[in-house]
Amino acid sequence: MNLATFPWLTTVILLPIAASLLVPFIPDKDGKTVRWYALIVGLIDFAILIYAFYTQYDPSLSGMQLVESYTWLPMLDLRWSVGADGLSMPLILLTSFITTLATLASWPVTLKPRLFYFLLLAMYGGQIAVFAVQDMLLFFLVWELELLPVYLLLSIWGGKKRLYAATKFILYTAGGSLFILLAALAMAFYGDTVSFDMQTLMAKDFPIKFQLFAYAGFLIAYAVKLPIFPLHTWLPDAHGEATAPVHMLLAGILLKMGGYALIRMNVEMLPDAHVYFAPILVILGVVNIIYAALTSFAQRNLKRKIAYSSISHMGFVLIGIASYTNLGLSGAVLQMVSHGLIGASLFFLVGATYDRTHTLILDEMGGVGRKMPKIFAMFTTCSLASLALPGMSGFIAELMVFVGFATSPAYDLTFKVIMVSLAAVGVILTPIYLLSMLREIFYGPENKELVEHEVLVDAEPREVFIIASLVIPIIGIGLYPKLLTQLYDAKTTQVTEKLQASFELANVETLPATEAAEVSLLPTEPLQAPAISHL
Amino acid sequence: MDSLYQFAWLIPTLPLLGAMVLGIGLISYGKLTTQLRSLSAIFIVSLIGASMVLSFGLLWSQIQGHEAFTLYIDWASAGDFHLAMGYTIDHLAALMLVIVTTVAFLVMIYTDGYMAHDPGYVRFYAYLSLFSSSMLGLVISPNLVQVYVFWELVGMCSYLLIGFWYDRKAAADACQKAFVANRVGDFGLLLGILALYWATGSFEFNVVGERLHELVELGSLSGALAGFFAILVFLGPVAKSAQFPLHVWLPDAMEGPTPISALIHAATMVAAGVFLLARMFPMFEALPTATDIVAWTGAFTAFMGASIAITQNDIKKGLAYSTMSQLGYMVMAMGAGAYGAGLFHLMTHAYFKAMLFLCSGSVIHGMEEVVGHNPVYAQDMRLMGGLRKYMPVTAFTFLVGTLAICGIPPFAGFWSKDEILGSTFQTSPALWAVGFITAGITAFYMFRMYFMTFEGEFRGKDETVKQQLKTEQLQGMGLAFGPGAMNPKELTADYPAEDEAHDDHDHHHSDEPHESPISMTLPLMVLAIPSVLVGLVGTPFGNYFEAFIHPPGEVVEAVTGLGISPEFEWGEFLTMAGSSVGIGLIGITLAVLMYLRKQIDPAAIAERIQPLYQLSLNKWYIDDIYEVAFIKGSRRLAKQVLEVDIRIVDGLVNLAGFVTLVTGEGLKYLENGRAQFYALIVFGAVLGLVLVSGIT
Repeated sequence: MNLATFPWLTTVILLPIAASLLVPFIPDKDGKTVRWYALIVGLIDFAILIYAFYTQYDPSLSGMQLVESYTWLPMLDLRWSVGADGLSMPLILLTSFITTLATLASWPVTLKPRLFYFLLLAMYGGQIAVFAVQDMLLFFLVWELELLPVYLLLSIWGGKKRLYAATKFILYTAGGSLFILLAALAMAFYGDTVSFDMQTLMAKDFPIKFQLFAYAGFLIAYAVKLPIFPLHTWLPDAHGEATAPVHMLLAGILLKMGGYALIRMNVEMLPDAHVYFAPILVILGVVNIIYAALTSFAQRNLKRKIAYSSISHMGFVLIGIASYTNLGLSGAVLQMVSHGLIGASLFFLVGATYDRTHTLILDEMGGVGRKMPKIFAMFTTCSLASLALPGMSGFIAELMVFVGFATSPAYDLTFKVIMVSLAAVGVILTPIYLLSMLREIFYGPENKELVEHEVLVDAEPREVFIIASLVIPIIGIGLYPKLLTQLYDAKTTQVTEKLQASFELANVETLPATEAAEVSLLPTEPLQAPAISHL
Repeated sequence: MDSLYQFAWLIPTLPLLGAMVLGIGLISYGKLTTQLRSLSAIFIVSLIGASMVLSFGLLWSQIQGHEAFTLYIDWASAGDFHLAMGYTIDHLAALMLVIVTTVAFLVMIYTDGYMAHDPGYVRFYAYLSLFSSSMLGLVISPNLVQVYVFWELVGMCSYLLIGFWYDRKAAADACQKAFVANRVGDFGLLLGILALYWATGSFEFNVVGERLHELVELGSLSGALAGFFAILVFLGPVAKSAQFPLHVWLPDAMEGPTPISALIHAATMVAAGVFLLARMFPMFEALPTATDIVAWTGAFTAFMGASIAITQNDIKKGLAYSTMSQLGYMVMAMGAGAYGAGLFHLMTHAYFKAMLFLCSGSVIHGMEEVVGHNPVYAQDMRLMGGLRKYMPVTAFTFLVGTLAICGIPPFAGFWSKDEILGSTFQTSPALWAVGFITAGITAFYMFRMYFMTFEGEFRGKDETVKQQLKTEQLQGMGLAFGPGAMNPKELTADYPAEDEAHDDHDHHHSDEPHESPISMTLPLMVLAIPSVLVGLVGTPFGNYFEAFIHPPGEVVEAVTGLGISPEFEWGEFLTMAGSSVGIGLIGITLAVLMYLRKQIDPAAIAERIQPLYQLSLNKWYIDDIYEVAFIKGSRRLAKQVLEVDIRIVDGLVNLAGFVTLVTGEGLKYLENGRAQFYALIVFGAVLGLVLVSGIT
């Protein structure tokens, strides 16, 4: 077997899916064998991925690696084509990691365990496929296929309003993905050759108006997924009803698909349209940050509170993508990975707390810190990570986005000042709602009713292990961000160069004066060229 | 000596290691670790001890004239952007290292006695160690980003430690308030750092200052804008060093255990703001508008803190306002360009204020034996009195601290405060006047505190006072403060639960307080030494301190021997010193008459100047204003946004979905097969798109 040509990514994608098909044949009476089975499959898959990553992947290259391409349906030019570059590799690793942990987090699931683990494993492969496929049609297919397990996981194992939430989720996302199909088909059929291959599409030269249409189409789809205001309202419902492991996947991975696709398609394939849309993305990002932080503050339901905080954090991804600097884009990717870890840990802890208190309403909690010191400590740690405390990954991601946007050559000073100041308001709002939340759950005198009616036991080793597994990379990246940034630095550099080239082109040639004023994209000279500190 | 510098990173790392070991122990083997009390304490104290030895070594080497040492590692990079972290050891850093490690070391020894009965003993050591590590990291930071990193980390430790007794509602509110108030300051600091980076392309202290000057001189950056950047950066110190208008968190922070009030909220963390101003001095120096704002903020805070401290009855709150006032002096000095004087006061204040706080802790510890573990009783000076008889060491050291802060020669505070007043007089007599009056008030309230606590008769058994305190407390709880919903249940459930919370403590109530154990009194006695003597390094006739600590780029001639430096003028010194000692003595005399001899009735005076008295008692109503303006306001705004989200945003999208459904139902009757129809629409749309873009 030749290691270099072995289909690593295909294996990683198909192994869990194949394993999921075997779930019905596992002899299992009390639902305990199947969970071990799922966990072991997850671990094996993770191990294969890590091995492939270490031996076959070179982070210093910017191009596609681990590429495989097989013709699937020749008459449709559909190809099974997968690959990984600096943009997808960190997210693939994250997906495998979080999904394995989510399997471990599903230990208490007792309702229909076979179906649950079947869906979980199916999702495992499907999620990785979203980040790995290099064919637009295939991308659309796996994107859609991904929705099905989530829909079922929500509608069977969710909370009281689970059907409403699941339906809303599927309508929003499916409605959004229609636009992916539209834009993808248009791009594929444009010009002389018909091709769905992403690299070919990237090389195609689309006229600007076409780009704008396609960009808008993609943006709607990914705005639902990321989510971006005002298409975010499915998220509090879905997150509010999901059980903890599904929650971890939703927040940890599914939201990242939106950000990933935004960079992969909108930025990489349609850089000329990005020039026009970037300021809008910045504004939407800032709206996300402030709006969601405020709604989170007012929320009295714990899960919804954290759900809104996810929306708020995704705002930084948008600003980073629109920053036109390597630093900002790098920060956006870092923020996605970082939020994947932090969001998953917070949602897991919310689930663990709910398992004990059996309520998500903050007013019904209070003072449980004394009974559950470990959960208290872990919750505090993860909340601090979420409010971007230095030393943890969220801080460096936000800092990079801030510095990247502040030094961006693409915006005029007033726009930058206003946007940076508003985004920085999030720095004040985030601790307000997160620390209020901690205070209302753990601090203060014990809530008598709660203590009498519920058995408040402290975290078990399994729970501590899950949080430790998530917190170690959070702190690791926070202490030494290069651990992660070097994985994709070559890629983001390449993307930024391309972007800046098309930005300059747009400003030199065609930008009509009226539109220029409209999008406020006047380039300003920074006071000194960012010959950035040789420290 | 260079190897010492190579290993300087150990200074913050050792305490971090300690905190990590204890933290991991607590989370994985909680029960076992909680029992290993003395082992944990010895472990942590010896680690900080090792850091202290290293720090002294570095200070000595710096005094010997070793040049500044800086080490960088590439921390984060993206393309051609590189951000380095590392450490720098220069005169200022070495001095701060020694201040932080010595106070931390002594506070940790003291903690053993103070927290002896607390179930969270080990956790407290872990937090203390984590804090020390962050603070040490802050003072050796070579650039603004690293300062910001540790700036936030010390804030987090402060949050954890203020909320240490998390089942107390007041502590829960206070820790959140502290964090949020500090975040408001950090907001400014972050924007300031970004703006400076945008303008100068650097995060380094000196480079930022120099380039900013160049840019202003060249005219490519307007002076007003540069001043604005400086003010943004200054917002950080405003919050951290409890300057008006972000000072509100500091008095509430006294809900934390007393050792951390001494370490964090008196000696080290709150001084970080002054430290940052010192680091950014090259930038501020040439921006007169900014320095004026800095100086006046400091002066106003100094006066306001002192004016509130007069009427405080809680011994720790009194000291907290006093800290705020003293920090105001330091900030004022920085604003007035008196770099050395400000840092000199930082050093002397760190020692005597840490000692005063530890004394108050010792008093509280003694009072708890009599009145029980209720902070409302144990910290109120109206229940104290005559404690000198029972706690001679505490009383003596408290007196030393009081004399030091009042500026009585030759105690440490005299030299540093006098130097600040002297230097501000040269820049602005108006500033000097504020500082001068504040000095008088300081002497008055500190001696009021000393007399109420240690002189007269012991009032700990006075039931009428207790009853009065109880009523006041219940009234005060209606005004509880802090973002987040007020749950009316908390009002009734709070205090009974709190008494239970401390049931596991020892119950031997006695009739009179006793002196604290040696682990507590020893640090007091040790701290008394610098409180008396450390001022002698910075006397006007032989200012070794200023020769060692001076702004970068400024040349100060070395002090040779004890000889009087040439420009020193006895006349000027005697007038300045004489007047400040004079006003101090007036304050002390008033305090003696009112609280020791009782020849003047304080209540009668309070009656006669009722509005002023109320203003001081209610802390200038600033908490109440913030409550209405910001806390209720932000809560209301958030509620409205949520309403909008649920009703309008979600409603609109749902409506859109509903409309589609309805039309879909209608279409069903028109079309036979849905799938084909959708495919047709999709195909049509694609075709249209391609055609439209192809034609144009």
